[in-house]
Amino acid sequence: MSNELHTRAEQLIAQERVEGISTADQRWLRQHLSECADCAALAGATEQAIRMLRGLSVPLPPGLASRTQFRVRLRAQQLRGEPRWRMVYAACGISWAFGAATAPYVWRGLEWAGHRLGVPSIIWELGFGLWWALPAAVVAVILLMENVGRSSESAWKRQAN
Amino acid sequence: MADDTKSLALGLKRRDPELLDALIEQYQYRLFRYLLYITGNRERAEDFFQETWVRVLERGHQYDGRSKFEAWLFSIARHLVIDWQRQKKMQSLDALTHPEDGTPREFPDDDPSPLHLFLAHESEASVQASVEKLPAIYREVLLLRFQEELGLVEIAGVLNAPLSTVKSRLYRGLEDLRGLLAGEAA
Repeated sequence: MSNELHTRAEQLIAQERVEGISTADQRWLRQHLSECADCAALAGATEQAIRMLRGLSVPLPPGLASRTQFRVRLRAQQLRGEPRWRMVYAACGISWAFGAATAPYVWRGLEWAGHRLGVPSIIWELGFGLWWALPAAVVAVILLMENVGRSSESAWKRQAN
Repeated sequence: MADDTKSLALGLKRRDPELLDALIEQYQYRLFRYLLYITGNRERAEDFFQETWVRVLERGHQYDGRSKFEAWLFSIARHLVIDWQRQKKMQSLDALTHPEDGTPREFPDDDPSPLHLFLAHESEASVQASVEKLPAIYREVLLLRFQEELGLVEIAGVLNAPLSTVKSRLYRGLEDLRGLLAGEAA
């Protein structure tokens, strides 16, 4: 039997497992393997190598899934918080810009109302200050609420750990 | 399968926590085994395992449901390992070859024979020893083809490599594994 035939058989043995071969090639290979002990042994060794590889098992670290699930949930929680914070920052920015743009009109308006109502100027000036401080006050309240939420979350994390 | 992957893609887009929990349970063995094969280290594989699922959560919207979920999952895991390798001044798994003769180098590892230590608890000691001796790039494709039973195109997708590279690694890996097993048996 020529070397070319053995080389072809060798190629087909691997090819059959890796990417598959045509029916004609399969037929030719079966025929060759029935006549050539060396190539049949090679085919057997290849089959055995794949079978052994498939039979390998890997023990999982204990609690791998639950630890991962916990970490993923924490990250999900962080991600849910991110857009809310972006909204808070955007609202603050818009509020500040709007406040700066309208400040002269508000000042004049409050001054006019103060004179009309006979209110001492310190009162309407304080009112103007309050109007300016309002967005900051809202943000402070939000931050405070967020901190309270975080403290209870940390307690929950400590408990879970 | 198409419907399953489409609904999976929708769930990932919504970052559905129940779905993610179920996926972690379902794929824990396969992903951990893959990571262990390519890193050769149990602790590192575990770190990458968790990191991979965090990445799945963050980038779930990128999964379009047109390919197998496991192929997408493995490619995320692989990218994380490659990034880590790059940080260690390595370019990528693909670059782990000698420039002269193209033969693959052993996957670098700081620990003493970790895969062997880890797998030594199993009864198939000689097979494990042989698999351990295989370079990581061959271990990886052999696992994806014969344990995960992914198609060649899917493997090429995971590796982000041409089909011809996948095939040549599979042929070479199979040949090496056969040789190593024969050596162990002798």
